[in-house]
Amino acid sequence: MSIVVSASSLLLWSNTFHVHGHLNFNNPMSRWRQQNLAIIRCCSRGTWETPTAQNNYYDLLGVSVDSNAHEIKEAYRKLQKKYHPDIFGPKGHEYTLMLNKAYEVLMTEDLRRKYDASIGQTRLRFGENNTPLGYSTWKGPLRPQALFVDENACIGCRECVHHASHTFTMDESHGCARVKVQYGDNDQSIEVSVESCPVNCIHWVETEELAVLEFLIQPQPKDEYGVFGGGWERTANVFTAAKSFNKQLKRKAATRSNQYPGSTVQESPAQAEARVRADMKIKMESFLKIWNWMKETLGMNIN
Amino acid sequence: MVETAYTVTSDSETTGEDKSSTFPEIAIGIDIGTSQCSVAVWNGSQVELLKNTRNQKIMKSYVSFKDNIPSSGVSSQLSHEDEMLSGAAIFNMKRLIGRVDTDPVVHACKNLPFLVQTLDIGVRPVIAPLVNNMWRSTTPEEVLAIFLVELRSMAEAQLKRRVTNVVLTVPVSFSRFQLTRIERACAMAGLHVLRLMPEPTAVALLYGQHQQQASHENMGSGIEKIALIFNMGAGYCDVAVTATAGGVSQIKALAGSTVGGEDLLQNMMRHLLPDSENLCKNHGVKEIKQMGLLRVATQDAIHRLSSESSTQVDVDLGDDLKICKVVDREEFEEVNRKVFEKCESLIIRCLQDAKLEVEDVNDVIIVGGCSYIPKVENLVTNIFKGKELYKGMNPLEAAVCGAAVEGAVASGINDPFGNLDLLTIQATPHAIGIRADRNNFVHVIPRDTTMPARKELVLTTVHDNQTEALILVYEGDGEKAEENQLLGYFKIMGIPAVPKGVPEINVCMDIDAANVLRVLAIVLMPGSREPAIPAMEVRMPTVDDGYGWCAESLNRTYGASLDLLTLQKV
Repeated sequence: MSIVVSASSLLLWSNTFHVHGHLNFNNPMSRWRQQNLAIIRCCSRGTWETPTAQNNYYDLLGVSVDSNAHEIKEAYRKLQKKYHPDIFGPKGHEYTLMLNKAYEVLMTEDLRRKYDASIGQTRLRFGENNTPLGYSTWKGPLRPQALFVDENACIGCRECVHHASHTFTMDESHGCARVKVQYGDNDQSIEVSVESCPVNCIHWVETEELAVLEFLIQPQPKDEYGVFGGGWERTANVFTAAKSFNKQLKRKAATRSNQYPGSTVQESPAQAEARVRADMKIKMESFLKIWNWMKETLGMNIN
Repeated sequence: MVETAYTVTSDSETTGEDKSSTFPEIAIGIDIGTSQCSVAVWNGSQVELLKNTRNQKIMKSYVSFKDNIPSSGVSSQLSHEDEMLSGAAIFNMKRLIGRVDTDPVVHACKNLPFLVQTLDIGVRPVIAPLVNNMWRSTTPEEVLAIFLVELRSMAEAQLKRRVTNVVLTVPVSFSRFQLTRIERACAMAGLHVLRLMPEPTAVALLYGQHQQQASHENMGSGIEKIALIFNMGAGYCDVAVTATAGGVSQIKALAGSTVGGEDLLQNMMRHLLPDSENLCKNHGVKEIKQMGLLRVATQDAIHRLSSESSTQVDVDLGDDLKICKVVDREEFEEVNRKVFEKCESLIIRCLQDAKLEVEDVNDVIIVGGCSYIPKVENLVTNIFKGKELYKGMNPLEAAVCGAAVEGAVASGINDPFGNLDLLTIQATPHAIGIRADRNNFVHVIPRDTTMPARKELVLTTVHDNQTEALILVYEGDGEKAEENQLLGYFKIMGIPAVPKGVPEINVCMDIDAANVLRVLAIVLMPGSREPAIPAMEVRMPTVDDGYGWCAESLNRTYGASLDLLTLQKV
């Protein structure tokens, strides 16, 4: 509700105040401080489009929906350096306002989740704060290096948990340690706990790699073959797996950009409708399958 | 000489745009401190501090009106101390500018050896130097303008060109009204203000440049670095937390207060001569001289205590009033315990506002005149658990160097080595909001919001058939409206006569990157998307020197009759 109100009133502002400043970009001396002339400008005109309609915050910052705080920060800074009114002149005002808004929302976990829900995005929670089991959180700012426990090698000795209890935790169901909070303790106790590991399974890794490693080290459901049951399996060598995973990601991204040059292909209303219908049909089919299976196994007493 | 040099060009800041030359003028950076002041400029490859004819980089901030000819610490041959004894010198302008006579800071200034008269009703205090045995009134703006004119001619003589564009540093705790007074003083001196930068953010910019240069040298990637900047001068104490990467400094949080070396000095004077407060009450010539002597002696003692653990104060005030006392460092620290506690609380608040722990801070920078005091250094390092302080900044020159860098960046100067490839993303030092829900201060733009910023608030009427509403805009950190600084007011008229709670009054605040605040109000009726009456846009601040009186009068005249209530956003 509040979003609707503010969006409509933002438009209202824009429509009501069409006072343009005369902008003199030939004069480098007065790049800014021309605000005396330029009153609140309409944001739906000119080069900048209204953020709510066409662009979403991710597009605005030029980051993917699953990007982490570090990536968002970097993108935000790059754009600020280009369009901040100090550099771009008063024209950058509206755009910077949108950037600030987008940054505020995407950097605040609660707001980001709400925003994702509102635009219908789900993302893999890589490096997020309230992560599901298996992913570590960060205390303080991101650092270039992160801690990672190779759970394949871990023997569950609890030495690391003993030395740095705010950083490491014992995953009782798997019988091995893992990182709960990056830099949860001071540097010295972390150092000690890394040293204390008898099998040297605590690694310093690049922060960018962390998300992939933490994802791959989690036991994944195994496919069933004939009579052999599925169960859970963990990647044998997580580091090589991460490498190939990254390679795959790159290849996928490359093919995607080949398929949709410019990646701004808009679907027509008819196409959209067809897609929605097809999607529904697929969902219905799988639902019916389960329904039939339930009917068969649980007997006839459902109907 | 000064009569001609100080021309009042314009009150607005539109001067300086009529340049015919296409070569951009590099704006100079000025740091006007409560007690000292300096000027610097980007000389094409680095920052250079300008010197006066006596080869000083750092000059005393005072103006003497002796013999009817104003002269300031920039050019004057006489020493500051002698001027002070005669009552003809005005100093501490920065503590007096833009304040009303109910302000405790103004009251503290009554101990200074010139006339500060208060009526305690919320109007401008009367300030006067003693000239030929006559109190001749002046204003802090005027004194500052005279000072700026001298700084300007000094810079022009040295740079051999006209100087019109300037970047000034200001304390974090300055209200928007005080900023307009600084702008007014600059306009009186024929200077065009490109930017007023909170002092620690100027230091943050300089730190950003250091980081940028370091990363160029070792080809490191732009890793984010968090720095806390603590700046304590004679008049103000400021703290900022900045996150810097790739030449972009993001101000995360700001905190500031009016505690500084002046308080340390006055507390110490009171300690040495418990009756010193009453000494200056009558403002006789003799008392002024005594006050001046005590001030100079105490100041010297405090300076000595920075390097020695104890020192002797030996001063003859005349009239059989002799002070001969040994003071040690512990005594000095005990007398000023409250001041130092305030400094600590500012640092802690700033870290909390930035949502950081002490361990997250990569660099701790302390600057300002008071950074030489061992206790100040200790209290900062104690908070940061003994962390070594950042080196490579001159405590007295960092702010002015930052202002000069900003001056070059803002003038559109490019540096082939990327030394000016910088940006400071500023944040609001105080919350800005309106009076609503009876007498509460309701924030529209909270403290530490990234600038430029635009936020809005939806309100409604409190009475049936309420056709008018008063919008009172305040700035500050207090809970109740009157604890904050009034910035301006306007009335919304012609609200359709409907039951209370029906009209939707939308108040929007917009701050652009040049820190100009506009307040917009629009009235919407349910079911309509068109405003019911023409909207209003008011540029703030609109108040004048008597703002203390004004707030009280508004309250008395209108009370709750034109109140508004915030609508809970669903």
